[in-house]
Amino acid sequence: MMRLWRRHRHWLAPTLFILPGALLFGIVIILASVQTIWVSFFDWDGVGPMQWVGLANYEQLAEDPQFYVSLKNNVIWLGMFMLAPPLGLALALLLNQAIAGMKFLKSMFFVPLVLASVTVGVVFTWVYDPTFGLLSLIYGWFGATAPALLSDEHLVSFAVVIAALWPQVAFCLVLFLAGLNNLNEDLIGAGRVDGARGSAMLLHVVLPQLREVSFIALAVTVIGALRSFDMVAVMTSGGPFGSSTVLAYQMYEQSIFSYRFGYGAAIATVLFAIMAAFIAWYLRTLLRPEQETA
Amino acid sequence: MDGKFESTTGIELATTRRRFILGTGAVLAGGMLARPAIAQAKELTVISNIGNADQRAVLQRLADEYSKASGVAVTINNMDHEAHKTAIRSYLVVGAPDVCFWFSGNRMKAFVKRGLFDDISDLYEREGYKNVLGATTGALTVDDKQYGLPLGGLLWGMFYRKDVFEEKGWTAPSTIEELMALAEQAKSAGMVPVSMGTKEMWPAAGWFDHMNLRISGLEKHLALMDGKLPYTDASLKPVFDSWEDLIRADLFTPNHTSSGWEQAAAALAQKKAAMMDLGGFIKYGFPPEDVDQIAYAPFPVIDKAMPRYEDFSLNSVHIPKNGKNKENARDFLAYFYKPENLAAFLEAESAVPPRNDCPPSKDPLINAAVESMKTVVGTAQYYDRDTDPDMAQEGLKGFQEFMVKPERRDQILARLEATRQRIFKG
Repeated sequence: MMRLWRRHRHWLAPTLFILPGALLFGIVIILASVQTIWVSFFDWDGVGPMQWVGLANYEQLAEDPQFYVSLKNNVIWLGMFMLAPPLGLALALLLNQAIAGMKFLKSMFFVPLVLASVTVGVVFTWVYDPTFGLLSLIYGWFGATAPALLSDEHLVSFAVVIAALWPQVAFCLVLFLAGLNNLNEDLIGAGRVDGARGSAMLLHVVLPQLREVSFIALAVTVIGALRSFDMVAVMTSGGPFGSSTVLAYQMYEQSIFSYRFGYGAAIATVLFAIMAAFIAWYLRTLLRPEQETA
Repeated sequence: MDGKFESTTGIELATTRRRFILGTGAVLAGGMLARPAIAQAKELTVISNIGNADQRAVLQRLADEYSKASGVAVTINNMDHEAHKTAIRSYLVVGAPDVCFWFSGNRMKAFVKRGLFDDISDLYEREGYKNVLGATTGALTVDDKQYGLPLGGLLWGMFYRKDVFEEKGWTAPSTIEELMALAEQAKSAGMVPVSMGTKEMWPAAGWFDHMNLRISGLEKHLALMDGKLPYTDASLKPVFDSWEDLIRADLFTPNHTSSGWEQAAAALAQKKAAMMDLGGFIKYGFPPEDVDQIAYAPFPVIDKAMPRYEDFSLNSVHIPKNGKNKENARDFLAYFYKPENLAAFLEAESAVPPRNDCPPSKDPLINAAVESMKTVVGTAQYYDRDTDPDMAQEGLKGFQEFMVKPERRDQILARLEATRQRIFKG
C-alpha cells in the first residue's frame, strides 16, 4: 500500500487536491453551460416537454428588434465601463499619499464596494427621480427642470451605467492602490536619480509596474459590463419599453416571464460566445509575458 | 398534540373513582383515535404571496385556529408577490407545498394543463360550494372539474378623493367627454387628471382593457386575448384613436414610466392627481386616516350602446398535485373558506367576496364594488391574466411604449401581431 502510494504520489496527490474543485467547476460551470447550449435548440417552456427546433431560436433572435437593442446597450455598457480603470487609477494616485486623515478618505471611497448592487441601484433610482430626487433638486436651484433620465429611452442606459460605474470605479481603485503599495522602491529611486518626475515618472516608471494590475482591472471591468443584470433589473426592469435591456436581462425576461427557456438559452449562448472570445484574447495576452519571464 | 390535550382534561375530571375510570377510558380512546393521525405526518405547508400585513395576519390567525382544532401543524411561508410568480413554476414540480395561492383563469389553466394542480371537485361537492359561488366557479373550472377556490375579486375602475371632488365641486365622470372636461378643470387646478405609474407596465395594459371593453365589447376583447383576433384588426383602431386623444390632451402623469403604481396612488392620496385607474387595493397607497375618502366610479362610458363589461380579476387558492397531505389540505381549505373566515381575509384588501353568504362588510370600498357589480353584464380578468404570458409580456411593453410614443402605433401593433402569430400559430 505504502509502496503503491510512493510510486504514484507525484500525480495522485495533486489529483486528489484538485478533484473537489474540478468536480464543482465541472458540474456548476461546464455542465450547466453545455446544457444551456443544448436547451437553446429546443422550444421549451421550462415545465412541459421539450421540442427540438434546431436553429429556429437563433433565426428568431436574428429578427428580434429587442435583441439588437440589448446588444447596443451592452456596447454602451462596455464603452462606458472602460472609464472605470483610468478613473480608479487617477483616484488611487490621488489617495496614495501620506497625509493625515487619508485612511478615512480611502475608506469613504471604498463604501460603494461594500454596498450590495441592489442598494446602489435603489439609491440612484431615488437620485434620478424626477419629482423628489437629488438631481431634480439640483436642477431646481438653477430654476431648471431635471430630465426624467429613467423615462427617456435614449438616456436611460447611460443613467444606469453611471450608477453601476460608481462601485466599479471603487473596485479598480482598490486594485490600483494595492498595486501602488507593491511598487519597487529601487526603481523609483533610480528614476529620481535620473531626474524623472511628474508625468515622466508616472508614464515610464510607475505605470509599467502596474501592467498586471491594469490587466486584471480591465478584465474584471469588461466581464462586469457584459454580465450586467442586477442594476438593470433594479432600476428599470429593462424599461421603458425594453430600451435599457441588456442581453443578460433579456435572457432572464424571456425565460422567466415569457416562459421561453429555449429562446433564453439561445441569448445566453450568444452572450457566452461574446465573452468566450474576449476571454480567449485576454488569456493569450496575459500568458505571453509570463512565458517570456519564465 | 391531540392526545396530550385530552389526557390533561382526563386527569382534571378524575375527581371520583368512577370518573377516573371514565376519564382513563377517554384518554385511551383519545390516544387510540389520535394515533393513526399522528402516524401520518400531521403537517401542512402553505405558500402565500400576500404582501399586505393585515391580510397576512388574518391568514396566520386562521391557520393557528385550524391547528388548534385539528392538531395539524400549519406552516405558512410568505413570499414576495412578484418573486412568487417565478418561484411557483419550480416549486409545483419539486418541493410542492400543500396549499398555495395563485390566480384563476388562464394563469391557473397553464398549470392545470401540465397536471400540477389537484382536481378538487370533490371538495366542491362535499361543501356545496357551487351553490354559494355561482358564476365565479367558471374561472376555476377546466373541463367541468374545479382546480381551486376563488378568493377576492378585484373590480377595476376609477378612484378619486371625495373631499377633493366636493371642495372643487366636481362629479365623477360617467362618459369619456365628461372625463375630458374634468381633465381640463384638474389641469387648471394644477393637478394631474389621471395618475399613472407604468414602471411595472401593467397599469397601461389595464387602461387598454377598459377602453377596449367600452368600445369593442367583451366578445372581441376575449377573442384578442385568446389570440384569435389580429392586433392589426380594424376594430382596434377607434380604441387607439381615442386613447391617443387622451394622451395628447396630457391626461396622464408625465414621465409615468419612472414611477410605479404605488407612487401613482400616493399622488392621488396627496391630492396631486384627480383620479386613478386601479382596484380596491389602491388603499395601500393611502395613509390610514384618509382611506375613508376614497371613492369608486366605473370607467367612463365611451360607446353608449355597449353593455357594461369590466375587468374583474379573481385571485385563487389551490392544492398542488405534488403536495404530500392532500386530505388535510382540503380540510384546511374548508375551514379557511367558511363564510366568516373568508370575509375577514378579504376585508383586508377590499376585495369582493366570491361567496354570496359572506356576512355584509363594513368596508365602503367593498360595498361600492359589490353594488357596482350588479350592473356588470360580463367580465374579463385583466390583460396579463387573460392572455398567454408570453404575449402579455410583449403586450405590456407595447402599451407602455404607446403611452409615451403614440406616434409609433403602427410599428408597435405590427410587432404585437408578429408575436401573436408566433405564439398562437396564425
